[in-house]
Amino acid sequence: MKKILLASALFLSAFALQAQDKYFTKNGTINFGATTLSSLEKVEGVNKSVTCVADIKTGNIQFAALMKGFEFERSLMQEHFNENYVESDKFPKAEFKGTIVDNANVNYLKDGVYAVKVKGKLSMHGETKDVETDGNITLKNGKITTTANFEVALSDFKVSIPTLVADKVSKTAKISVDCLLEPLKN
Amino acid sequence: MKRKKIIRIILISLLIVIAGVAFYAYKEFNRKQKDLTGMRPEFTVSAVDFIKEFGINEKAVNKKYQDKVIEVNGIVKESIKDEKGFCTIVLGDTLAMSSVRCSMDSMHNGGLKNILKGNNLSIKGICTGYNDDELLGADIILNRGVISNKN
Repeated sequence: MKKILLASALFLSAFALQAQDKYFTKNGTINFGATTLSSLEKVEGVNKSVTCVADIKTGNIQFAALMKGFEFERSLMQEHFNENYVESDKFPKAEFKGTIVDNANVNYLKDGVYAVKVKGKLSMHGETKDVETDGNITLKNGKITTTANFEVALSDFKVSIPTLVADKVSKTAKISVDCLLEPLKN
Repeated sequence: MKRKKIIRIILISLLIVIAGVAFYAYKEFNRKQKDLTGMRPEFTVSAVDFIKEFGINEKAVNKKYQDKVIEVNGIVKESIKDEKGFCTIVLGDTLAMSSVRCSMDSMHNGGLKNILKGNNLSIKGICTGYNDDELLGADIILNRGVISNKN
């Protein structure tokens, strides 16, 4: 009986430890920008309900955002974004699944800013492409902030820019991710 | 004389039409997102029922609600203000992982100070969809949320 108790206690504590490796948020932000250098009109959207889960032990990290969740200042721009460019009805979600390549260099017990490389697959508009980017992991008071800025070629994701607006909408999109993660309690 | 007059009328009316089109195009181009405060919701649901409905048939239900003004009432699970000043109010069953997450319209941030965990609240927002995650549970996400009444 004692053995069983001990075994189950061990099992449970292992489980609890495992749970603490995972950090998450449902409240991250992604800024999307596709303004050309010459354009005065800003093509910018923000999504404030990005989910992110990071496993600090394995370095696995993933993000998800609903395409319809991107907010633009101008309604017309938002409608065009959803209907003509990313076709949100057909492809409602964007996802990134990858790993923090140099996860071993991050001391998750010590506050600080750690520069890392992240590598993985980004899925959007029905296409999946390999993406590699530099990012930062910031540790402060037991919380983890993940930030990254990178660019993607819209043509990689089969998003075409009509020539009529080519002087305003850039062929590459700047994406910046900012997520404040909390421990995931099960 | 008469012909001149006709031409003049045609020219003037053409000008008016062009001005009208230009004005409409300008307005349409600059159209801002609408404040939902004065808008009537197309659907009124409880947070718990809303989540249940999405869980049954995501695709069909998404079609029904997406891009529409929905009024959701429920218990506040969390009221979050992030470091960028964006506010999110989470409604639903406190024991469940799944919730209705309302990203609030920043124009009305001032009115959110008194919102506390456990309050019963109705929020109007635009339904942007359902985000399902095997680990984190599934959430319905509303944007441009405004408080429609505090019960």
